[in-house]
Amino acid sequence: MSAAVMEQPPQILARAAQGDQDSFSELIEPLLDPAYRLAAVMLADRGAAEDAVQEASVKAWRKLRQLRGDASSLRPWFLSIVANECRMARRTRWWSVIKVADVDAQDRPQPESYSDLHRALLRLSPDDRLPLVLHFYLDLPLDEVAKALHVSPSAAKSRIYRSAKRLRADLTMEEVF
Amino acid sequence: MSNENFRRELNRAFDGMSGQPSPTLARRIRSAVAQPPAARSYYWMAAAAAVVIAVLLVGVLFVANPLHRPTSNVGGPAPSPSASPSASPPATPSPSASPTQASAPFQCGTTYGPITQNGPAVAYVSDVRTGSHPGYDRITITFGNGAPTSVEVKTQSNATFTKDPSGQTVNLRGDSGLLVTIRGADEHTTYSGSTDFKTGYTKLQEAQQVQDFEGVVQWALGLSGNTCYRVYLLTSPDRVVIDAQTGT
Repeated sequence: MSAAVMEQPPQILARAAQGDQDSFSELIEPLLDPAYRLAAVMLADRGAAEDAVQEASVKAWRKLRQLRGDASSLRPWFLSIVANECRMARRTRWWSVIKVADVDAQDRPQPESYSDLHRALLRLSPDDRLPLVLHFYLDLPLDEVAKALHVSPSAAKSRIYRSAKRLRADLTMEEVF
Repeated sequence: MSNENFRRELNRAFDGMSGQPSPTLARRIRSAVAQPPAARSYYWMAAAAAVVIAVLLVGVLFVANPLHRPTSNVGGPAPSPSASPSASPPATPSPSASPTQASAPFQCGTTYGPITQNGPAVAYVSDVRTGSHPGYDRITITFGNGAPTSVEVKTQSNATFTKDPSGQTVNLRGDSGLLVTIRGADEHTTYSGSTDFKTGYTKLQEAQQVQDFEGVVQWALGLSGNTCYRVYLLTSPDRVVIDAQTGT
């Protein structure tokens, strides 16, 4: 997936930025799977995750001209839009529905099959899950994690480690990276 | 737990949370992107609709004027009532009637009001000025804390008035007059300017306060010739403007 994005000729990005929808689809479709996984973990609601990815895609389409850098910047940029969309989705629906994530995390009995790690993960806040998803699940390099989080690489490393320590207090830096 | 074990177990947990995206997701997104922005801009449409409704509401309230507070007796650009500085140079910018108003017609020999309006229990006069302009001479009585509750203007065929409460008769310059009665007003608390303007204008020759007692303020205007005049009740600041038509 990563390679597919990297190999996009700059012309596709330029055409998409000029309003060519097919070029945009060509760019964005390889990113939908990681975007969905990110949203699903943040929202703990698959339907809401797809909605968030759809809304993020539309925003990315509208704002593509604001993308700085080359095609390699597209993935962290898009994933940061997805993460923002997830935050907005949580904020806008908090008053109307009980978030599944919260129910899962706090009230609903957790299946016995869940590992300790899985249960600890569900107890993390979505923003704490985000660096872990980006780094471990989506396997983004540290500089892309940093771009997606809008922080420096060293700050991204700290956030990943801090979140990981919340899962397992005895983790060392070497075990995480 | 090694790095690899930690990562493997973590990813298994993530897999359990996310599952697979719907096969139709890409098609859904293509379709959403292909829609014109107007079809998706629900929030913008709602915001635009709210603005339009607010503008209409303000317009309706402005036209209906539910408080029955006249901003002028008629519409009309009253030229700037920046009364002539000959009377009392303003410390603040000259109040002026709204330039968007259409000129009010002059009325001759008839009583104006009393016009009642919402205002404080006592409206304190903060300034009185006179001025001469092409076509009319003007007196402006300004209030510092809101509009007076009632304004009335009566004409008379002479320039003789009675002061209240002293009962003293005063003869103003001119041969006709207007008696301006403002109720719910006070001119001695915050106003310390002149109470007798001998203007030297062709029409409004003299303006003298003849009452400031028990919440009633009266100004007598000595005019030359007939008594054609118009009244504006204006806001920002609240003021009563009386124009005596010249050339008649």
